[in-house]
Amino acid sequence: MATISIDNLAVSYSGTRVIDGLDLTIDAGSFFTLLGPSGCGKTTLLRTLAGFLPVAEGNIRFGDADVTALPAHRRDIGMVFQDYALFPDKTVFDNVAYGLRARRRDEQTITRKVGEYLERVGLTGLAARHPAALSGGQRQRVALARALVIQPQVLLMDEPLSNLDAKLRVQVRETIADLQREAGITTVFVTHDQEEALALSGRIGLMRQGRIEQNAVPQDIYRLPASGYVADFVGAANVIAVETAGQQDTASPLTVAVAGAQISATVPLPLAAGPAVLIARPEDLHLRREAGQANTISGIIVRKQYLGSRTNYRVRPASGLDIAVDLHGPGHNDFGVGDAVGVVFDPSKTLVTAT
Amino acid sequence: MSAGAQMRSVWFWLSVALVVIFAVFLLYPLMNVLASSFGGARADGRTGWQVLLAEPKYIRAVTNTVLLGLAVTATCTLVGVPLAYIAARYSFRGKALIALLPLTTLIVPEVIAAQTWLMMLGNNGLLTRALADWGIALPSFYGWLGLITVMTFIYYTYVYIGTLAAIRAFDAQLEEAARSLGTSPAMSRWKVMVPVVLPSILASALLVFTLVVGNFAVATILGHKVELLSVITYQTFVSEVGADPVMQSTLASVSIIIVAAVLFIQRMVLARGRFEITLGRGAKPEPLHGLAAPLLAGAAGLVVIISLLPLATVVAGAFTRARGPVMRWGEWTTANIERVLINAPDPIINTLIFASIATVTSILISTVASYVIVKKRNALTPVIDYLAALPLALSGTVIGIGLVISFNTGWLPLTGTAAIIVLAYVIRRLPFGVRNASSTLYNVPNSIEEASISLGVPPVRSFVNVVLPLMIPSIAAAAVLVWTTTVAELSASVVVYSGGKETLPIQIFRLIDSGLMAQASAYGLVLVATILIPIVIATSVFKLDIFGAR
Repeated sequence: MATISIDNLAVSYSGTRVIDGLDLTIDAGSFFTLLGPSGCGKTTLLRTLAGFLPVAEGNIRFGDADVTALPAHRRDIGMVFQDYALFPDKTVFDNVAYGLRARRRDEQTITRKVGEYLERVGLTGLAARHPAALSGGQRQRVALARALVIQPQVLLMDEPLSNLDAKLRVQVRETIADLQREAGITTVFVTHDQEEALALSGRIGLMRQGRIEQNAVPQDIYRLPASGYVADFVGAANVIAVETAGQQDTASPLTVAVAGAQISATVPLPLAAGPAVLIARPEDLHLRREAGQANTISGIIVRKQYLGSRTNYRVRPASGLDIAVDLHGPGHNDFGVGDAVGVVFDPSKTLVTAT
Repeated sequence: MSAGAQMRSVWFWLSVALVVIFAVFLLYPLMNVLASSFGGARADGRTGWQVLLAEPKYIRAVTNTVLLGLAVTATCTLVGVPLAYIAARYSFRGKALIALLPLTTLIVPEVIAAQTWLMMLGNNGLLTRALADWGIALPSFYGWLGLITVMTFIYYTYVYIGTLAAIRAFDAQLEEAARSLGTSPAMSRWKVMVPVVLPSILASALLVFTLVVGNFAVATILGHKVELLSVITYQTFVSEVGADPVMQSTLASVSIIIVAAVLFIQRMVLARGRFEITLGRGAKPEPLHGLAAPLLAGAAGLVVIISLLPLATVVAGAFTRARGPVMRWGEWTTANIERVLINAPDPIINTLIFASIATVTSILISTVASYVIVKKRNALTPVIDYLAALPLALSGTVIGIGLVISFNTGWLPLTGTAAIIVLAYVIRRLPFGVRNASSTLYNVPNSIEEASISLGVPPVRSFVNVVLPLMIPSIAAAAVLVWTTTVAELSASVVVYSGGKETLPIQIFRLIDSGLMAQASAYGLVLVATILIPIVIATSVFKLDIFGAR
């Protein structure tokens, strides 16, 4: 268990800077997720932490030890790969025992520990099988046991669930969460799946073009996105471009002009003057038949999707982009295509942030 | 130094070592050949190229070589493509025999093929004499007739294998789609399948052309009065009076240029013809009906029988009594075999020793080379990739001459040693080893090695622990292929060998030259066994898919 400290890190990959000037501290024993779309640098960062990619600038520390120049095999990490990376010619037992043998533990200890960890991941009885005889979920459990049995300082996971089908993904996700909590190993988890990130993480680092765009607990990532980019990536959101005069004060609301209406919104972070975005999640908006209210944009419903417990509407204002609205509760299906409506914004749940 | 750079350095230095080895033993000899053809001055002050253009003998040799190449390429395509189509699309009795075809080129060395055809159809051949008794005079087998016939039956399998793979990979649904759009079955085949399969046919046909240009054994044994580049090059090299180093390099350069031009065309063809081939289900072979069945099966069977004829002949020849050059067909004896095994086993021992050392060396180099090419790309790996394939473009004669003029004297005198034969073997068969050793590597994910490293095992030991075991089947297949093609190697070793270091093919070649066919057959039988035994063991005991790897 060690704190990971990354200081002014730069990493180049085939000639281009994929990560540039990244600072990040991951607390000892925490579960930290690197979330972002493909190409944002999250896997590059993970592989740099593992020691598979050379550092161009800056340094990385595990606890007090500077590991920047330490080869991967001496970093004391456990790694779980997207494609499981089990050794196909070795049995489940030998796969899990591999790291212990590299550490020259005696056979008795190895047998005991392998048995213990296979039990923890629910694979007791499969020790003699080869990976080819296992299902995808079982393979990833073996990979997990193999990485954890050496009790590494840091556990690194590179999209470990993305090759599994939806049902297995939830099961293995729970196994990962339980094991991490029990073992208390500092864990870095890479994913592009927001639900996975929200469900598992102590903190999420949302990445954008080689930088951490927002580093926060899951609730804040969802409720208080630091930018339109974050809001758009995590969950559905209406992200509307606006111009503001800026505001340093985060306690009082800011009113912005959108599609001919004045909308009052929260400013979670000090905002510079110029282009900004108004963020509102579809489920935080309401529809009203009467026009001319405060915090309301008028428009016509152009599309409607009935989804059982809720209904999704698309409202087209006189100017600007369509607004998505999700209605729940009684009467959510009462509006029809062609209706003239007002979209009502809740100032406490409407944000203005940097783009 | 950063962690990554340190981690890579082991492989980087191995890459450097490979480049140095290839540069010294492959590039440097090649440069010497080319340089001496341009820069060297002969006694009369003319350069090699001036002589080449002035003397009709050389011009004829170049023209004949190109003509022979074109002719054999055409005949191989005529035999190979229909046979591949029949094998891919129809089923009939005895079809399993066709599956043996790729084997025949591998287990019957060219020198034995030439020899056995002569034993059948040469001036004293079994069939020639039998037909003469009936009053039928066959035309002389020496010259164009023999050259084209023998080379066709040696090389058509390349066209057959290439075409068969392409037709099998062709998605039969495309043909069905064409038919559903209203085209007749024959037309849809012509319009849909032919364009997709054509690049593969062209590529294998061009390969045949380069093999014909480089062919030494058949050209020398059957060429007779037809002057050919490889024969003249060799003669210029061994000629007792007035050995002509400039001319030999010039002639070698001509064959390099011809092959380079053909490979260039092949590249263009392949680049243009690279369709997105969807690997669909190939058409199921249909049973043949009516009159077509015996006709097609008979034609295919005939090709198979002719291909296997050399094998039968060499066995019969080895056990037939002979007095000097006269074969007494029908009188059986084990004297020939006893003689080569007991009285004169040196060629056998030489072959086994040289080929063993060459195979082990070749496999070591191939394993490292294919690993860095596929898995540890750096600035040098494209160079290694290119150099490892380069010997494919060089005939054995060219490689042999290059090695001799480069390591005759100077800092590394190898001429006259066994080492230069081993070296010629290793260089010549390098592409086989590298290509085959790398075949499974593409299926080994990089993450396996990283998993091992992440668990605390250093990079090189990780390679040995987790990647090497997965490479073993393809390394073994590569070893079998390198071995079988090395023990049969003639054209390079005949240039570099010296007295007392004869190998089996060299000895057979010399015996054919003296007309001693029975003894040549006995050595031939031993050679075929040396080739066949490892193949049988590999495929039946270890279940290796040697032909899949090829």
